[in-house]
Amino acid sequence: MSDKEQDREIFLARSLRYMQESLRNSGPAVVAGYTLIGAILLLGGIGYGIDAWRGTSPLFLIIGLLLGIVVGFFELAKIVWRK
Amino acid sequence: MMWFTAAVQAHGAAAAHAASEKEGFNAGETIIHHIANSAEHPLIPLPEIFGIDFSVTKHVFMLWLVALLVFVVVTWMVRRHLKQGPVPSTAGSGLETVVEFVRDSIVAPNVGSKWVDTWTPLILTFFAFIFTANLIGLIPIFEVVRLMNHWVVGADSSTFLGRLLEGGTTATANFNVTAGLAIVTFLAIIVAGTRAHGFLQHWKNLVPSGLAWPIYVLLIPIELLSMFVKPFALTMRLAANMTGGHIAILAVLSLVFLFAEMARTAIAGIAVGLVISIPLAVGISALECIVVLVQAYVFTLLSAVFIGMAIHVHH
Repeated sequence: MSDKEQDREIFLARSLRYMQESLRNSGPAVVAGYTLIGAILLLGGIGYGIDAWRGTSPLFLIIGLLLGIVVGFFELAKIVWRK
Repeated sequence: MMWFTAAVQAHGAAAAHAASEKEGFNAGETIIHHIANSAEHPLIPLPEIFGIDFSVTKHVFMLWLVALLVFVVVTWMVRRHLKQGPVPSTAGSGLETVVEFVRDSIVAPNVGSKWVDTWTPLILTFFAFIFTANLIGLIPIFEVVRLMNHWVVGADSSTFLGRLLEGGTTATANFNVTAGLAIVTFLAIIVAGTRAHGFLQHWKNLVPSGLAWPIYVLLIPIELLSMFVKPFALTMRLAANMTGGHIAILAVLSLVFLFAEMARTAIAGIAVGLVISIPLAVGISALECIVVLVQAYVFTLLSAVFIGMAIHVHH
């Protein structure tokens, strides 16, 4: 293997390792984003469903959305403030 | 390949268009027809049991096809790999790369070196299944056969084969499929916590210990809700992403028929198709090729992170 080829090999290996490192660090951030939107959608959706079922619009929708925001931001805070 | 996909999808849209020619082209209806599960015309009609329709629809069929394909191909490759000894074949080393990638950069950093061998098989299964399901949705196998249907196969649209040739679909674009996968993750989180800390301790780990009781009144419901929110986020993300790509491509291709109808001449439609629709659809299809991989990756990454969170409790 010539020097040039060896350099290229090292370059590729380094790039791959760097990518793995970035992916590893991005894990918690991905969780935070999806949990935030997921909580608001799920609990807001449940609230909307209860409203449609009991005819109490918009009481449960508002409660669900507020709960969703609380749970979503709580999860976000937990991940952001973790050491 | 992507040109071909676009062309075949255009063909499908054209067929739908011909059907609804009498009342004009309805883009929304055509798109819904393409992405919806074929509940009214199942592939294999079965009776209802306890009010649940057990008919095999096209999503169910694609689900089985993907499961069978993954099982057969991977088992065959691993068998060959084991037989060959230390120097693997091309396919074998390809599989090895995937397995090592999933183990070293998805599972190990999140779950930890102690549990990595316990949870890698589950995460790998997720990865292989979701990736194959996404990919098969992108390859128009049945549509290609359908193009030849009239002369070669000659299947009637009322038979199983005929209905099958209506077109393939992405099993992971169905919320029920992704919900099933997310339920497995949900159970895996509980099992992981229970195995690492014991049953009672796992539930105690949901909230930090040694706080004043009013905090617990607030925290416990929030933590219980977030337990359900996590798999829900997984469900929505995967299914919405897979459905979104289909809708985008179909919407862009609908422009052809909308413009043809508006200008009352086919030339306008063809012009719009050549200038806007086909290039855009090809671009979106190219994007979908990346999305297929990224979505499988994100689902497995999130599952691994959730399982890791149950094992390594930080407060």
